Amino acid sequence: MARGSSALARLRLGRDRRRTLYALAAAAMLFVLGEIVHPGFASLDSLEAVLTVASFVGLVAAGQTFVVLIGGIDLSVPWILNGAAILLVTSSLGQNERAPYAVALTLAMGAGVGMLNGLGVAFLDVPAVVITLAMNGIMEGLTLGLSGGLTCQACASYAPPIVQQAVHRQILGAPAELYLWLAVIIIVSFVLGRTRFGRHTYAIGNNLRASYLAGISVRFTTVMLYALSGLFSALAGILLVGFGGQASLGMGAPYLFQSIAAVVIGGVYILGGRGSYIGAAAGAASLTALVSVLLAMNMPDYGRSIIYGVVILVLLLLYGREESER
Amino acid sequence: MSPELAAPRRRRSLSVHIVGQNAGLLLVFAMLAAAVALYCLFYWMQQRSFPGNFELTSTVDNTMPLAMAAIGQTIVVLTRGLDLSVGGIIDLTNALAAVHMQDSLGSMLGWTVLVLLAGAALGFLNGLLVGVGRLQPIVVTLATLSIFQGLAIRVLPQPGGAIPPGYTALLVNMNQPWALLYLVLCAGLWLAFRRSAIGVAIIAVGNDEAAARANGINVVRSRVIAYTLSGVFAAAAGLFLAATATAGDATSGNGFTLSSIVAVVLGGVNLFGGRGSAIGAMAGGFVTTMIVNILFFSRIDPLYQSFYEGLFLIIAVVVGGGIGRMLRRRR
Repeated sequence: MARGSSALARLRLGRDRRRTLYALAAAAMLFVLGEIVHPGFASLDSLEAVLTVASFVGLVAAGQTFVVLIGGIDLSVPWILNGAAILLVTSSLGQNERAPYAVALTLAMGAGVGMLNGLGVAFLDVPAVVITLAMNGIMEGLTLGLSGGLTCQACASYAPPIVQQAVHRQILGAPAELYLWLAVIIIVSFVLGRTRFGRHTYAIGNNLRASYLAGISVRFTTVMLYALSGLFSALAGILLVGFGGQASLGMGAPYLFQSIAAVVIGGVYILGGRGSYIGAAAGAASLTALVSVLLAMNMPDYGRSIIYGVVILVLLLLYGREESER
Repeated sequence: MSPELAAPRRRRSLSVHIVGQNAGLLLVFAMLAAAVALYCLFYWMQQRSFPGNFELTSTVDNTMPLAMAAIGQTIVVLTRGLDLSVGGIIDLTNALAAVHMQDSLGSMLGWTVLVLLAGAALGFLNGLLVGVGRLQPIVVTLATLSIFQGLAIRVLPQPGGAIPPGYTALLVNMNQPWALLYLVLCAGLWLAFRRSAIGVAIIAVGNDEAAARANGINVVRSRVIAYTLSGVFAAAAGLFLAATATAGDATSGNGFTLSSIVAVVLGGVNLFGGRGSAIGAMAGGFVTTMIVNILFFSRIDPLYQSFYEGLFLIIAVVVGGGIGRMLRRRR
């Protein structure tokens, strides 16, 4: 084992890079395919639009990547996101001067709820599937109950203009949202690849017991990772409100499946320990490109749903084949 | 994990051992009893009478689909897997039944068999991907969930279709809780299954895959059968759902993916595999229905319903896990 470990490490790195490339190549191929079936699809404007939509999936997928890297999963995404969106509009009332507090409050809410998930996993030994599932229900009940089913007066508020600008404003020909996503990609990749916290994350995902014995604070890291996942769900909720203007019920629902799909397409190993956020981000881009191509082909909803599933299965089978070479 | 596996040297108290081994099952029935008592209390406070035959019948009829889905989910969870496609299979089988079933005995029987076979085929696909393809159950069944949901909407684009009244009377008699007979039948089947070769193999695979293989158990075959059975029970859930609604809806099964997991967890089935009972999972399904009933009669704003369900799930898992561990340690 020790003899081949450095060679193995290099191979593994190569494989992770390769998967990221696969996901990016898939996105590029889909744009070419889109251009064929629907001329003008691969224009700069449409590329920009697709990437903007992909960025929301990508942000949620950042949180999902963190928890999947330690073999967990976050099913509480939909209602943390939805609750965050509603909390932002009700606390800011669409006013710029209230916006900083509202954004801080919303992000703190997301991180706090995520932290509760983490505490349940780390200290109560509740399986991640169960605690995040229950937390999703808790957030759904609280969001619906406190907002009276989105009938409260403040619920109809728009996102503060400053938040809308943070998504829509054009900087050097691209919307600010894309720069924001780029920043998140750089920061998350740095944290995972270059910091002690990142190395601990991979170590726990590879072997929990060995990490514990090596003196890594497994519980602290776990709680932090789930808190980060909640934080990113809340961030996506804030930006989605900025994108669409108003909050709605059920706006978080698609992001659970899509974030997990992006993570899988991006080559993050679902049992933890391997994968990168760049892969997941590329996965989000290719997933959104796929949806856009299907939309351009006037594919009905059910067809999209079927193709979604088939694509994920095919990728799983391709990656799974590599896995067994190990 | 290992303390449970070590054989007890001194059989000091067999009763403590039995209680420890069946802690999950005992707990879920305690929960069910508490829920029923609470329900009766709230019911009495509102109505000044106790719930009768009508309430029992509607509770049983409403829980049948979940109880069926929970049995299937249990079998998969026993192999240390998870079947997220349960909701999709219910959608699709529900739609198939509503579109095709005619008001004649032949059609009803024929389509019941066909729908169950369809469920078996869908589950078999999951089983092949997980067992032969060696893929992770969560992502595989998430992908097939998407596929099955799409197919269901293809079969029945708008809610509609019709289930013959005779079929409804056969599965979920609206006047008497005859559906309880199906539960007793399933409980009997489970007890037989647990002692059968394949049942033992499935539990062994969930406990320790390597040890099961070393003992000559065909791991792949056990997995495939577990997912296939889950598909069959999900199809049965689809039939019961169609019978209670007397019509089809290609999205009405979606919630069952999560609620079947909730029922299984409440029923004391270990999500890490190898430990648990389908009878507990069925009882877990009834507990979730009772919680909804209690919330209704305690005049809690229905918008908060998910909040209480989530909270209850966490409390049940934490308390249940704690008590189970304590009992096993004291052995």
